[in-house]
Amino acid sequence: MRDTSSHDSFSFRGPSCRIELDSFEGPLDLLLYLIRRDEIDIYDIPVAHVADQYCRYIRRARELDIDVASEYLVMAATLTRMKSRALLPRRRDGEDEPDPGAELRRQLILYRTFREIAEELQRSEETWSDIYSSPGERERWSVDSTQVEPGQASLLDLLKALASLSEEEATVLPQRIQRTLLTISECIDALERKIPPGSPVSFGTVLGPEATATRIVSYFVTVLELVRRGWILFQQPYPFSEIQLQRTERWSVDP
Amino acid sequence: MILDRLAREVEALIFASDEPLSISQLCEYTGSGEDSIHQALDRINRAFRDQHHALGIIEVAGGFRIATESEFGDVVSQLFEGKKPGKLSRAALETLAVVAYSQPCTRMSVESIRGVNCDSAIRTLLEREMIRISGRMETPGRPLLYSTTSAFLEYFGLSNLDHLPRYEEIEELLSLSSSEMEERDLFERPEDN
Repeated sequence: MRDTSSHDSFSFRGPSCRIELDSFEGPLDLLLYLIRRDEIDIYDIPVAHVADQYCRYIRRARELDIDVASEYLVMAATLTRMKSRALLPRRRDGEDEPDPGAELRRQLILYRTFREIAEELQRSEETWSDIYSSPGERERWSVDSTQVEPGQASLLDLLKALASLSEEEATVLPQRIQRTLLTISECIDALERKIPPGSPVSFGTVLGPEATATRIVSYFVTVLELVRRGWILFQQPYPFSEIQLQRTERWSVDP
Repeated sequence: MILDRLAREVEALIFASDEPLSISQLCEYTGSGEDSIHQALDRINRAFRDQHHALGIIEVAGGFRIATESEFGDVVSQLFEGKKPGKLSRAALETLAVVAYSQPCTRMSVESIRGVNCDSAIRTLLEREMIRISGRMETPGRPLLYSTTSAFLEYFGLSNLDHLPRYEEIEELLSLSSSEMEERDLFERPEDN
């Protein structure tokens, strides 16, 4: 059975009033508490009375600056609507209008049932937490041991794995990055062989089949240098098309 | 009491297995019938009791396993200090109760019964492997469906889902609409003390 002693100390009057909205598992729980406190038959709920009590509770909580979850406010609105319906005279032709209390009763009965089941589960948990048997269960307690069969991994497993990765201290192994140095003068020597006098050669041909990023950049910078010196002609018919390079007479003339 | 060959085989199998061994597995490995296995299990447990052992064979999550007696919980728990997760919160237990009886079910249907947001409770239960994502509902938004796991059965000492408390009553309760509930005087009006 749940502990109601803390709820019983609750009073709406006086500064000693303790509102423990946090100790309720939502509006249905609060309603069940009020119903029980006022000894109301769940099958015959006086809507106006319960709505008043409930709204008072919520208002009081808000006065005390307690952050009231929206679910509680929705229930307050529902109860108020039910109360106003109950006060209005019933229409003669409104036979098929559903009893506003019926749905609430259903909700309360369902919720109360599951609350009882939760209490039973809690008792089983109490009993079974003292019984030690399963190696499988114990393995679950340690984070790393979860073995996942192919096709059995869930999104949660992936997220867990990701979370554990970011938790792990990032140990960066010392790495030495090899820098291949290509000087412009080396490149000029290379290009001299690749751009023979005579007909134009494409930049792609100059680079060769397996050009590294370093070589592409170095050769390109070298080509620009050669153009500046006036040793080659540089032609590109339209953007992104193949670049044509042609040696001029000045190449051999200049030192 | 001296145990016969079959009982000792059963005991050895259950002791060595990582997972609970089902009755059909025990039959297969020992080449015996169900009745003889049940009788063998009884004999083993009687032997444990007669000699005041701290162990016994229990039926859980659809199988049998060797377990310590609950009165040694305190002493054994020292082995797992800091590793064993804490007890489930009331929100988690209520959410788990709803999932257990209406599985596979969506977060929405749990919330409609509990009347509160169940996001964090569901997350806790997924982390504790009490529930798992078992699919998606083919409705707009394709919401995730949740079901309980065998870890859930083991945690609460249930041999299968039918052994949940008041299983049939609640199955029926869940299937009723509010008007049907009113019409059928299903429930005796219990004293709400």
